[in-house]
Amino acid sequence: MSKENQLKEIHTSGKAYAIYKSINGFNLYTDFSKKITLNNKNVSGFLNKKRVSKKPQETDLFIGFFGYELLNNLIGIKVPKQKSMNFPKGIFYKPEKKISYSNNLVNYRIDKVRLKKKFKININRKSYTKIFNKFKKKIKSGETYQIKICTKYKLKSAIDPLDFFCRLSKTNLAPEAFMIRDKDYSIISCSPENLITKKGSLITTKPIAGTVRKNKRMNKIKALNYFRNNLKETKEHNMIVDMERSDMSRICKVGTVKLSKEKAVEEYKDLFHYVSLIKGKVKKNIKNIDIIKAMMPGGSVIGCPKISTLNLLNNQEKENRNIYTGSFGYLKFNGDMKFNIIIRSILNYKNISEISVASGVVVDSNAKHEFGENFIKAKALIDLFK
Amino acid sequence: MIYVIDHKDSFTHNVVHQFSLFDEVKCDNYNNVDKTKLNKAKVIVFSPGPGNPKNYPLTSKIYNQFKGKKKIIGICLGFQQILFCEGAQIVEQNKIYHGYQSSIKVNSKNSLFKKNQIFKVGRYHSLKLKEPFKIKDFEITMRCLESKVAMAFENNKDKIYGFQFHPESFLTNNGNFLIKKILSS
Repeated sequence: MSKENQLKEIHTSGKAYAIYKSINGFNLYTDFSKKITLNNKNVSGFLNKKRVSKKPQETDLFIGFFGYELLNNLIGIKVPKQKSMNFPKGIFYKPEKKISYSNNLVNYRIDKVRLKKKFKININRKSYTKIFNKFKKKIKSGETYQIKICTKYKLKSAIDPLDFFCRLSKTNLAPEAFMIRDKDYSIISCSPENLITKKGSLITTKPIAGTVRKNKRMNKIKALNYFRNNLKETKEHNMIVDMERSDMSRICKVGTVKLSKEKAVEEYKDLFHYVSLIKGKVKKNIKNIDIIKAMMPGGSVIGCPKISTLNLLNNQEKENRNIYTGSFGYLKFNGDMKFNIIIRSILNYKNISEISVASGVVVDSNAKHEFGENFIKAKALIDLFK
Repeated sequence: MIYVIDHKDSFTHNVVHQFSLFDEVKCDNYNNVDKTKLNKAKVIVFSPGPGNPKNYPLTSKIYNQFKGKKKIIGICLGFQQILFCEGAQIVEQNKIYHGYQSSIKVNSKNSLFKKNQIFKVGRYHSLKLKEPFKIKDFEITMRCLESKVAMAFENNKDKIYGFQFHPESFLTNNGNFLIKKILSS
């Protein structure tokens, strides 16, 4: 059977599976022999358990995600009671099968009557502006230097995740794209941001801060000039770089944390990102859980400084973030790992699709602009429902 | 040993790594300070952090206890914390510098650094020292070239030093040199 047909068969069989972007294409993981639903009690055990396989295999790994709340709790931050649909705090799977695909994953389309209903936003512009101004005061008084307000779009709808993922990957082939399909939920994501890549003792993180749309007048060189001349974008980016350097320094040997790519432009299908790459060498005796706690939740999507900003956000937000600004990826038996930041994603659970987006408040940002920016970020995903 | 008191900041471990180039460093949270380490330390460093010095009475207590007995260094909030303990007022500023690279100048001949030397430094502060400011043995030794805001103080009698900017930031060009000089004073 061709790989294409294999994927279609796995999909129609109802079996759980996950797809994660690789350098040259996609990897599909399925035939899960274990499913671990994470909570505050079992997460340390899960991360620290020593696993050895008699015959090393490509499937010697767990793949899945940590939700936002779990990552807060791991670093000792409580999230006050929020409106919640009781989606699991984190799920990891042990695959027994891995299949590699090219970037043209599969030709899979379903014809369905498209929805006429519209997404509902949980914070309108007026309340957004109010929150925005409140946080600006907090910046003035020094409690936070940068904070990202999250807004959520929701729609009652059943979706075919493979159909969505294929269409999304065609329009936006993101370097950290992934999907999960299980019996009671699915996630489709075109995340662009890698939070942790660890191989042996070498660890890297690649924060994105700064995005500009591609058009006829905007090429790579012009994009770089745009970012360099834009003081607001530059300052936001600088802050994230120093924060990520500090997070890495918690777990890396002294003198090994280096900025190996400083404020470069990366080109994607529809946009340019302003990125930096930070490298380090992990200290001896550092456990998986130390790495997760040092790096997550990823700072670039939260704000800075992390703890004080998380507390401000958690006291403001009335609704659980679920997977948003959590991390998806895999943890290998040998300690290697790769995790992204879950943004630009659709979570479908109990026949509700939700899309969360956020944009930053710094001292010189403007509420109307950032609210609009949020909508632009959500639009690429909302358009999939048309 | 250098003991870094962390104010739950996202830059503290850059400070830890920078000081580790010169000596052994220990670091604990401000509300979880270890007395043995504190007594053993040759140098105490107050980390950067969010908020206002008045939010950190525990750190003020440490300062008052060890002033004159050990070398004390404050960075950003730590700089403000020391001055606050000495009676200075820490106030909001109109223009805020977060993730900003500025040129600063040594403006005192009593400084450990050469007068009129210029440094490029990274800044992350909402608040600043209210001036005029006069405290015995403390002198403002560096200022922002543009805004003239106080960027460093030295008290060479009691070996107390503070930087309003971040010597550990990637935006600061000669950060290691600055720290080395203060540590060897």
